[in-house]
Amino acid sequence: MMHKAAPSSTSILWLMLGLTLAASPHFLYQPIWVSLVFLTAIAWRCMNIWFDWYLPSNKHYLVRIFQLVIAVAAILAITFNYGSTIGRDAGVAFLVMMLGLKVTEIRSQRDYYVTVFLGYFVVITNFFFTQSIPMVMMMFIVVIIMTACLITVNDPKHVIKKLQIVKLSGQMLVQSLPIMLILFVLFPRIAGPLWGLPQDSHSGSTGIDNKMTLGKISNLIQSDKVAFRVSFEGELPPPAQRYWRGPVLWLTDGTTWTEINRSLTSAVETNIEYSGAEYHYSLTLEPHNENWLFALDMPNKSPTTVKSHINADGVLQSNESVKQRVHYQLTSQPDYQFNQQHEPFVQRALELPDNHHNLSKQLAQQWRSETATDEAYIQRVLSHFNQSDFYYTLTPPLLTGDTIDGFLFNSRRGFCEHYAASFTVLMRAAGIPARVVTGYQGGEINPVNDTLVVRQRDAHAWTEVWLQDKGWVRIDPTAAVSSDRIEYGINEIMPLSMRSPLFVANSDALIELWQSINNNWDAVNNVWNLWVLAYGPERQRDFLTKLGMTNPNWQSIAIWLGSLLSLVFILLPLLLFYQRQQADPVVRLYQDFCSKLAKFQLIPATGEGPNDFANRAIKTLQHHKSDINTITQLYIDLHYGNKSHSITELQTAIKLFQPKKAQ
Amino acid sequence: MTDRVINDVLDSINSIILGKEHTVKLALTCMLAKGHLLIEDLPGVGKTTLAHTLAATLGLSFQRIQFTSDMLPADILGVSVFDRNASQFTFHPGPIFTQLLLADEVNRATPRTQSALLEAMEEQQVSIEGQTHPLPTPFFVIATQNPSHQIGTFPLPESQLDRFLMRIKIGYPNAAAERSLLLGEDRRQLLQALTAVITPEQLLKLQKHATSIHVSEALVDYVQRLLAYSRESGLYLFGLSPRAGLAIIHAAQAWALIAQRDHVVPEDIQAVLPSVVAHRLQARDEQASINLVSDLISHVTII
Repeated sequence: MMHKAAPSSTSILWLMLGLTLAASPHFLYQPIWVSLVFLTAIAWRCMNIWFDWYLPSNKHYLVRIFQLVIAVAAILAITFNYGSTIGRDAGVAFLVMMLGLKVTEIRSQRDYYVTVFLGYFVVITNFFFTQSIPMVMMMFIVVIIMTACLITVNDPKHVIKKLQIVKLSGQMLVQSLPIMLILFVLFPRIAGPLWGLPQDSHSGSTGIDNKMTLGKISNLIQSDKVAFRVSFEGELPPPAQRYWRGPVLWLTDGTTWTEINRSLTSAVETNIEYSGAEYHYSLTLEPHNENWLFALDMPNKSPTTVKSHINADGVLQSNESVKQRVHYQLTSQPDYQFNQQHEPFVQRALELPDNHHNLSKQLAQQWRSETATDEAYIQRVLSHFNQSDFYYTLTPPLLTGDTIDGFLFNSRRGFCEHYAASFTVLMRAAGIPARVVTGYQGGEINPVNDTLVVRQRDAHAWTEVWLQDKGWVRIDPTAAVSSDRIEYGINEIMPLSMRSPLFVANSDALIELWQSINNNWDAVNNVWNLWVLAYGPERQRDFLTKLGMTNPNWQSIAIWLGSLLSLVFILLPLLLFYQRQQADPVVRLYQDFCSKLAKFQLIPATGEGPNDFANRAIKTLQHHKSDINTITQLYIDLHYGNKSHSITELQTAIKLFQPKKAQ
Repeated sequence: MTDRVINDVLDSINSIILGKEHTVKLALTCMLAKGHLLIEDLPGVGKTTLAHTLAATLGLSFQRIQFTSDMLPADILGVSVFDRNASQFTFHPGPIFTQLLLADEVNRATPRTQSALLEAMEEQQVSIEGQTHPLPTPFFVIATQNPSHQIGTFPLPESQLDRFLMRIKIGYPNAAAERSLLLGEDRRQLLQALTAVITPEQLLKLQKHATSIHVSEALVDYVQRLLAYSRESGLYLFGLSPRAGLAIIHAAQAWALIAQRDHVVPEDIQAVLPSVVAHRLQARDEQASINLVSDLISHVTII
């Protein structure tokens, strides 16, 4: 019997190619030994086909014991490495390794199918790690190859040529696109953990911390990663107002700045009065594993689509940490008065650790005594930064000892966090309440889709001082040193060539080309993020409402989904049935005759004529010889003869034809 | 009546050509379908004997031309010679003026001579110096050629291969047939003794009868699918021409006539297909080791 035959070597080789490609993205972060086990198994199987290497057969009990030992060892090794076999990373490593072991023991068609389906599953696991466009394209190719595997294993005679297999497989995938689209658009999206990924799926996202130690942001500044993308309705705020507010740091132990205890701050009423221009925008925030959302300083309302509130520091605080890309609409007004009359935590904004920054404290007290007002003192400090030989540099010298004193009196080279921290210390030492605000400043406009792209390298820190009757006022000491950083953004500070790969750095034209490729690619990614990856419950509701569905909820969506899918599955057979109806009634009768014989595995092959088929059938059903011959003759006379016979004779003959197995 | 006649013809030929019933049937099919026959095989398997036997059994006048590389068209077609007495040119017909012409080893002749023959085959007449001389009816050419890879051959181009309705191979006889051949009488003497079973007039009648064999719409659909597959599958360098389609149907009609049926069935098509289309098809991928015709048959649905 054909279906019990071992899969052909061609189909095995196709499978090896498909599996290797499917698992290859995992090689990047899996422990090397997992990849090695997998690749060794694949290579062994290929060697078995090419050079007839030995392959264990499970007939022998020693081989079975060996396989068992290897499997147990694999489980133990993974448990040892990850602490369990559950979770995203351990689960995927387990899957890849077992898949490799399975490859060495594919013998029957059944084994082959099991392996192909495991391969499809490996394809899905790649999306636990990244859902980027290149990954989707690569996995699309893998799915074409895996489907080609299913074709080759069903084509033991190699009737279909190599390229045709790929073409056929691609055709099948393209034909399935409508169903894919229906499922994508209509499958009910339910927010919540039901569809969530394993807990460890979100490790490794980077972004601004709620701590600041001098030297930390510099890591971010090297990073090209997108932090968030903003598209404004209408006008953009001028560059100098593009402050994206993040965690506010109050406490310092002399080196590290941290937030004030949240359970205290959230209990306090804040008083923010807004005035002036309003900016409406929507923001797509990349996951950063933390509890805050970024907003243009200062948002006047928390967004409706994400559960969040504006906390006592004016930071948009989300209820859950941002583990997936979120998209929200906001309105911000850069003119605002923050706790104008009363700041309940004013004392915390004056604290400085004892025995730290002694030189700075002295300097501050001296200057404060020389100036009349707080405002004048602030100006004095800023002009000190501006006129003394302070430099803005992304690669400051390493500071040892008291970092603030060291920076102010010795190195004088640093970037935003150095200036923000030391400015805050100078303020507090002079009795002016001050705090450090972290976040992003600037961003780059992508001319392709007019989106403001804010990257990790736009990370920034500035200072707010509290003045009676004015409230918290933003003072950016970095602007005093390097006004370009604030006016034009970090990109102007970093030369273009520094942000491009080496091979284009020598030619301006190439740099421009590189820039425009980057912009277009980012625009494509933005669309992908917004319409495919961020297609969650809200997007689905919006989209379906636009399509004319009134008040879609998951029940009505499910009903639509079910109806559309059943429509497809009813229409397809109907179409096939209709095509059959179109056929000659004689042919239909003959097909009935054939389906009666099909019970005995007698199916006319492509290109097998009725007489040849009858002769073959008679070999199996000797006792029905005369019936089969009569029916075939009647059919031939009707279908190919030149006399007009009556169809009824054939009809009756086929109706009465009830083939049974010989006794 | 036709049934008996055809059986008699086949029996008569099979008494000389032993163990080659299918090949003999194909050769007769070709003649009943008014087609020219190309026999391609090694020397000594009975190509010439088959042609002789066919001529003798069907009562046709017979000529044989052994093709050589120094042969000229005039050697086949004939020449006009100046007759001194009549003071004019008179046409001396060449060996082509016969009912059955055996063109032996046709691929040994130069292309010029080959095309003279093939032109006459197509036109059923010979034109020399402005004068047209019709060829006798029925007129058949049975050409033999050695496998093309042999030394000193000019392979027939595709366009000229197309003029032959069928190309068949004879092949070695099976053991039993070969034994009786070796033990039996000399074939030449048997041939001498062979008498015609039918007259050329009867043959013409049979040819006419073959064209009246019913070809149903369903069958034409099948032939069209075959043609379409040969053009669209990408396996073949060129698809089959409409002329090839006609050839398939004519040959299948003649085959059905021999099988004593008044209509053509798909099996008739499949029976003649290898000999009708094999010489008209070329694989796109020359390395491919598939049988082009069986591939064609096994990929095209009948219903």
